[in-house]
Amino acid sequence: MILRSLVSGVKALFDKKRRNSEIDEELQGYMDTAVEEMMRRGIDRERALRIVRADVGSGEVVKHRVWSAGWESAVESLWKDFLYTVRRLSRSPGLVLTVVLSIGLGIGANSTIFSIVSRVLLEPPPVGDPSTLTTLFLTHDGDKCCNEFSGPDYKDVRDQAKSFSGVAAYYELVPASIAGSREPERVWGQSVTTNYFDVTQLHMPLGRGFMSNEDRVPVIVLGYGLWQRRFGGDPAIVGKPISLSGHVYTVVGVAPRGYRGLDLVLDPQFWVPLGDLTQLVPNPPDVNSRTFHWLRIAARLNPGVTQAQAMAELRVLAQSLARAHPESDKGNGFLMVQAGQLPRAGAFAAALLFLAALSVVVLLVLCIACANVANLLLALTASRQKEMGVRLALGATRSQLLRQMLMESVLLALGGGVLGVVLSVWSTSALSAFRLPAPVPLYLGVSVDWRVVLYTFLLSLVAGVAFGFGPSWKASRPILSRALKGEDSFARPGRRFSLRDVLVVAQISLSLVLLCATGLFLRSLQGAANIDIGFRSRGVLMMAVDPQIHGYTATRTIQLLSELRRRVATLPGVSSVATTDFVPLSMGGRSDGFVVEGRPAPTGEPPGSELYMISPDYFETMGIPRIAGRALDDENPDAPKVAVVNEEFARRLFKHDSPIGQRVTGGGVTYQIVGVVGDIKSRTLGEADRPVLYRSINQNIAGDPAFNGYSLMVRYTGDPSVLSAAIRHEISVLDPSLAVFNTQTIEEHLRDALFLPRLAGTLFGVFGFIGILLATVGLYSVMSYSVSRRTREIGIRIALGARTGVVQRLIVTEGMRLTVIAIAVGLPLALAASKLSASILYGVRPYDAVTFTTIPVILLAVALLACWIPSRRASRVDPMKTLRCDG
Amino acid sequence: MGDKSSDLVQGTLEMLVLKTLAAGPMHGYGITLRIEQMSEGVFVVNPGSLFPALSRMERAGSIKAEWRATENNRRAKYYLLTDQGREALRSETETWGRQIIAINRILEA
Repeated sequence: MILRSLVSGVKALFDKKRRNSEIDEELQGYMDTAVEEMMRRGIDRERALRIVRADVGSGEVVKHRVWSAGWESAVESLWKDFLYTVRRLSRSPGLVLTVVLSIGLGIGANSTIFSIVSRVLLEPPPVGDPSTLTTLFLTHDGDKCCNEFSGPDYKDVRDQAKSFSGVAAYYELVPASIAGSREPERVWGQSVTTNYFDVTQLHMPLGRGFMSNEDRVPVIVLGYGLWQRRFGGDPAIVGKPISLSGHVYTVVGVAPRGYRGLDLVLDPQFWVPLGDLTQLVPNPPDVNSRTFHWLRIAARLNPGVTQAQAMAELRVLAQSLARAHPESDKGNGFLMVQAGQLPRAGAFAAALLFLAALSVVVLLVLCIACANVANLLLALTASRQKEMGVRLALGATRSQLLRQMLMESVLLALGGGVLGVVLSVWSTSALSAFRLPAPVPLYLGVSVDWRVVLYTFLLSLVAGVAFGFGPSWKASRPILSRALKGEDSFARPGRRFSLRDVLVVAQISLSLVLLCATGLFLRSLQGAANIDIGFRSRGVLMMAVDPQIHGYTATRTIQLLSELRRRVATLPGVSSVATTDFVPLSMGGRSDGFVVEGRPAPTGEPPGSELYMISPDYFETMGIPRIAGRALDDENPDAPKVAVVNEEFARRLFKHDSPIGQRVTGGGVTYQIVGVVGDIKSRTLGEADRPVLYRSINQNIAGDPAFNGYSLMVRYTGDPSVLSAAIRHEISVLDPSLAVFNTQTIEEHLRDALFLPRLAGTLFGVFGFIGILLATVGLYSVMSYSVSRRTREIGIRIALGARTGVVQRLIVTEGMRLTVIAIAVGLPLALAASKLSASILYGVRPYDAVTFTTIPVILLAVALLACWIPSRRASRVDPMKTLRCDG
Repeated sequence: MGDKSSDLVQGTLEMLVLKTLAAGPMHGYGITLRIEQMSEGVFVVNPGSLFPALSRMERAGSIKAEWRATENNRRAKYYLLTDQGREALRSETETWGRQIIAINRILEA
């Protein structure tokens, strides 16, 4: 029945003419029969005709009413409105351009941020049936988040929890070097239990996952990207042997395109069985230790089991584990997270907060854009009052006018939405190019997906209604008698501030807030450049190798590194060279709590100290000043362990005593302190000085090998690219299978380390720029409107002898009054906002005098310009013309 | 002459049309005439209400239309009751009957 209605409706739409003539004919027949009937009753023809005509009324009205009985009439009138709107808009391309640009910028900003939200929170990982795949974490000490699982924890959950059809474990990141015909390359992958591919239900484009008997077999699943890049997408790769860190692995499959494991930001490129980990990692974690937490867990819910039911079971399981192993599992609990998400704690919670702040900012920008466009349309409706008046007088209903006006604004907004999508495609690719200074591979790409397009579409609709409703409402309700006379029919007497004034004040104050934030971040960048990082910020080249994943023993590694240092030191342009396990300002690092031997242990947690392994000449190469004692030399691996600490370490643990000669213990190892050096920024630029302990590579490499290889730090003069080629050559002479990675100058490294203020500064800068652009256009359009409305008044003033300057001042004063009010409103808001962002500002106080005086002055200058242009037009008003013209 | 059909309860016009057509196919004026006669002049349906109603009912499938020759050899659009229309008439009459009884009960209480 609905189908029939649809079919006949569509037929009627396309065959309106035939349908109309049919109604005409039927109506005519009706009237003829009626007249005949009356004549039959003895009424004469003339009179019968009159009666029937009066009875039937206008044929057009009947036709219209028949026509409105079907749904197609609504479609038709919408279509007519649409055509009318398109015709109208195409006659004012300037307006269309301004509105589409304003709204497009606002929407583009929103789409960009939403594409991050979509990537971080909404997009499921490309696994089979993502809704039933979860990842598990351990909580400790009540509900503190979050630990990885230990080996026995994993087995307990796998064997005892009934809620899951499968539980897989994986070791997050395993470094390896892939060799082949080309230069060896460092890649990162994951070590997984053999059921990993069954639990995740990956749809493998090539080959298969692991079989249950392959836990200790050297087989490998390649990531799609690695397969394409390194093996040219070889379709016959399955079954071929490849060399991974010097071992031969057989390729059994290729993971789906875009699959990057279950974590949000890591970028693993291969998967190998967990039992084979000893081949790839020098000191793999103990599978049977209950205290070593190192495994990530993916668990597939049984069909029909909800997350809440599974959690209830896990809570019971946690209690029984705590009873069975009180020494290790007491106070532990489980936390379940949808696969592809992270627990909302720590850095991830901070990132979400940042994202939320950004979302608010972009919504503010869109609000500015909407206010601006609403203003422009308001000014425009003023010039359409006569048209509206005439249409109303001719019988259009107010709701019809409203509908047509809204259609106009929604169309404009959809145009803005299209521009917004284009802008966000561009901006997401720019964002994806940002690099984090992290030692592990991260995938931070964002792109515009269908969710973003849908969101943009809905946002455009909302924006269109938002900025269109006010002006449309007003336009559809003119005071009719005045509109037809060509007078201003909107002006209600006795209002001091119009809606327009309020909107423009809001715009200027919002862009003041954004610009102040931008200013603060720019100042913060400047401040960050002035932060004393404590080590040389230029003229150092870094390159890393990881001999231990190639099966080098500790002794051979020490030999290799010292031979490498000896060779590099002789290269031209090199003044000193050292090796270390970790480059400072890489956002992370190893740390342990230290206590002083022979002193009562302090209450509470011992202060965490950063741990660096270094070679001789490290302090000299890095330019870290020696304060007391000696530096580390080529220490004997078998002698008692020695260490150099920084001043902060000495302050924290020894107050005013000299630390030299004292012994400290941390992480189960005791060191004798032989020297003190200056403080450095260890993890991030903004941090307070941390205690740091430097120990010898020679003495510690056997018991505590580096996680991410060893970096060669080379102090040089000259061209770094020539030098890096020379060093590469030296490395390949020593061992051609070693992959060289993280080749960077320290300047490049520091630039990466500044990414947060740079990112924030860029974002706020872009938004602030858009904001001020929009506000300027807004102020300009309000002032132009004001001038056009006051043309007659200005003409009279000029006719009565007002000079140009006076007229100009009249207009400029009006605009500047608004600007000053806006700044008075915006400044406290900006101060409040800056206090909120204080935690990510470096070297700048939130109430930064420079920012909060410069920005308002700039804003005043721009506002002056926006008022000056219309004021010039006002001063050129020809009194003769204005006074003669009556509309 | 006022449009007395506006006095009709919303939706009853369609029921009356169905009832009229139950007697056999009829053209527009025929329906008007019949309703006027049967109601003894109380309900006068004018084309401004009748034709939209017919169009709605045709769209809903309770009646269908055919062009036929009238007794005076003129072309006219005749409306016929479909099976669906017959069923609609039955259920609407039933509902109407119940409502009338209920309303009477209230008015007489």
